[in-house]
Amino acid sequence: MNNSFLQVTNLTKSYGGVHALSGVSLDIKAGEIHSLMGENGAGKSTFIKCLAGAVRPDAGGVAVDGSTISPGDIRAAEAAGIVAMHQESTAFAHLNAVDNIFVGREMKRGPGLLDRRGMERETLALLDRLGESIDIKRPLQELSLAQRQMVGMARALSHSSRLLIMDEPTASLSARETKSLFRVMRQLQGEGVAILYISHRLEEVFELSDRVTVLRDGRHVETRPIGDVTRDELIRLMVGRELLAESRAAGSAGEGAVMLDVHGLTQPGVFHNISFNVRAGEVVGLAGLVGAGRSEVAASIFGVDKPESGTVTVGGKPLPPGSVKTAIESGIALVPEDRQHQGLVLPLTVGSNLLLSVLGSPSLGPLRSARKEGGIVGDLMKDLTVKAASSNIAANTLSGGNQQKLAIGKWLAMSPRVLILDEPTRGVDVGAKAEVYRVIRRLAAEGMATLIISSDLPEILTLSDRILVMREGALAGELSRAEADEEKILALALPREGASV
Amino acid sequence: MTIHTPPAIPSQLQSNAAAGGGFFRLLKQREYGVLALLALTLIVVGLINPAFVAGGNLKDILVAAAPAIIVGCGLTFVVLMGEIDISMGALMGVLATVMGQLTSPSHAHLPVGEGILITLALGSLVGLINGLLVAYGRMPSIIVTLGMMTVLQGVNLILINGQWITDMPAGLRWFGTGRFLAVPISIWTTILVVAASIILARETPLGHRIYASGSNPEAARLTGLPVRPIKLFVFTLTGLLTAVATVVSVPLLAVIEPGVGKGFELLAVTCVVVGGTSISGGQGNIIGTVLAALLLSVVRPTLVFLKLGPSASYWERAIQGAFILAAVLLDQVARARSRRGKAGA
Repeated sequence: MNNSFLQVTNLTKSYGGVHALSGVSLDIKAGEIHSLMGENGAGKSTFIKCLAGAVRPDAGGVAVDGSTISPGDIRAAEAAGIVAMHQESTAFAHLNAVDNIFVGREMKRGPGLLDRRGMERETLALLDRLGESIDIKRPLQELSLAQRQMVGMARALSHSSRLLIMDEPTASLSARETKSLFRVMRQLQGEGVAILYISHRLEEVFELSDRVTVLRDGRHVETRPIGDVTRDELIRLMVGRELLAESRAAGSAGEGAVMLDVHGLTQPGVFHNISFNVRAGEVVGLAGLVGAGRSEVAASIFGVDKPESGTVTVGGKPLPPGSVKTAIESGIALVPEDRQHQGLVLPLTVGSNLLLSVLGSPSLGPLRSARKEGGIVGDLMKDLTVKAASSNIAANTLSGGNQQKLAIGKWLAMSPRVLILDEPTRGVDVGAKAEVYRVIRRLAAEGMATLIISSDLPEILTLSDRILVMREGALAGELSRAEADEEKILALALPREGASV
Repeated sequence: MTIHTPPAIPSQLQSNAAAGGGFFRLLKQREYGVLALLALTLIVVGLINPAFVAGGNLKDILVAAAPAIIVGCGLTFVVLMGEIDISMGALMGVLATVMGQLTSPSHAHLPVGEGILITLALGSLVGLINGLLVAYGRMPSIIVTLGMMTVLQGVNLILINGQWITDMPAGLRWFGTGRFLAVPISIWTTILVVAASIILARETPLGHRIYASGSNPEAARLTGLPVRPIKLFVFTLTGLLTAVATVVSVPLLAVIEPGVGKGFELLAVTCVVVGGTSISGGQGNIIGTVLAALLLSVVRPTLVFLKLGPSASYWERAIQGAFILAAVLLDQVARARSRRGKAGA
């Protein structure tokens, strides 16, 4: 197999019946920069976790120089020269560069004592090799993100690594810092180190890579030399699916009064000058990559976060920033992405969850009444077609789809005017997805102004009357229902050279 | 990326400059604050009454501080891992009873050496069980050790069965009253334990890994560190050191009764937290714990010297409690500040 030193064969991993990876095979050549691309949820992170031994695959394996590496064993992978440079969250913030680099493989002197001088010397040598000079005595939390990255690189080098896995290393770097990182990557490449590079930034991929591999829905789609593929082809490979012909019922949307009006919403470093509106009866999709700032915008509209500037107006009335209570009183409801922790109180019963938004409201009277509450709960369960044996069973016994209906239904009891849904069908199976869609459509038909945040492009296309695309904290464009397709959305959503937050 | 720093500036200077104002550096390096407070107390009370800082009195203060220092060393490692142990007081009670009953002429009357070995083994075993439940049973350590505390209190009452031990053999008494080069055994033991703990914390791979695991458990896992065996170790160590503290402090008592060790866990936790070890793990050191133990141990004699009379011990508890609240508050302030510093960087 030519000059490839590392083979990944048939890697397969499922989480609770969901295939995260299905039989992915790949080979890596010494000294190549190999980019790994795919939409959110395509299986990239599961792939690199299996490769680096952080996750044990259900089937398949990794071999270096023809010998198989024990699966799910980080140390074995590192010993074989496969080192993952994790995101910032996996560094030890309280420890200095030396300790971060050598923890777990400390250099020793005498009777099992640490050889601090030796480790410091080695650290300086590693940083020197990277052309960096960092205060090695300072805890990592006092260093800049770029400096932390360099410590991560030095750690990888200290393993005499042969494959370095880098997961979106430039996500939080400035253009200048990115250039410097690329210089170091090229230098390592020159020394024969292979790099598996994960990034959403197409320009970076074209600039750096020798080859590119596209994953989609947990499967290997294509591996090609970078010279044999164009930007548009790459996007098509990532999207893959034949465009869904599924037609949406023509709505009368766009005619209603403006219900939610967001103007100039800005949170430095997170999102910038976001302006849009949603009319009564309209479904607006908010697309973009994870980290583009969509959920943060929703949190600001709902008053969870206080934006630095900008206004949110509901039904013509401006909201004071940073007050969830007022947001709810004026009729905004937010169904958060993490329904198990933020959307529902799982150990409580179905009925209690549905009543969460109205408990204590004057309409129910001073004392709880089983009759009144039962009426509300019964109506909601019927409207939403919640499949539960009774309203008295715990919410955590329901399926994901039915839990999601509860998370929506909990708001309906207070008759909201604006409904914001963040990833409404994440982790929901196909059948339940259709039912959630039906609920959303019906609410819109009844006049609800709906904003849907989703990383699932077919979902956005299926539900939305209008689609807004966010890129790196700013609105990158707006597409009407008629003109939108996956490629156009992705073309707007992918970051461009030089554009950084 | 111009992060090249001029090599002429020593790194230590830079990090001090980066840490910001002096007060906030004190927040971060609590041991200096504790040391200053300790020195201030000794000087002020010493000026009022010179007998306070005379050799004999200082030695008594050290002897009184010994159990808290010894157990505090072990507990520091537990807290560095982001865990807690509150079973040490009750464990000390049981170990005192066992040690007394094994060696006293009116009970088992074993040789003192054997009695002490069994005591040390039993302390380690209880620590090991705590560790197993926390690391492998994946239970919160506060619950595990609260349960263990309650179990041990019950066991102690069963063992003692209303009969206080009044006849500790002379061999056992020696561990409380004996001297080596004119210095009490308990002080020698304390010095040994502190020295070994400092070496463990600063100079060994294991200590290094304890800091790392407490700083970021997920990163520790992704680095392949054996986090659970390390947890098992720190709890076992704390059990063992509780036994050591029992051996050098209980023989000073006139009798062994069910009240031995009562409230000791609060004292030990206070020493660790006041000494600057972060309750969320990853930060802290042995010296801080030792200094905090000394500071807490001068509280009572200070109150006595200030002639507060019988209410001195009530005041002592109140002051102890205030110390722990102040320390945790400082911890929160320092952390909020470092978060802001990070966001602004």
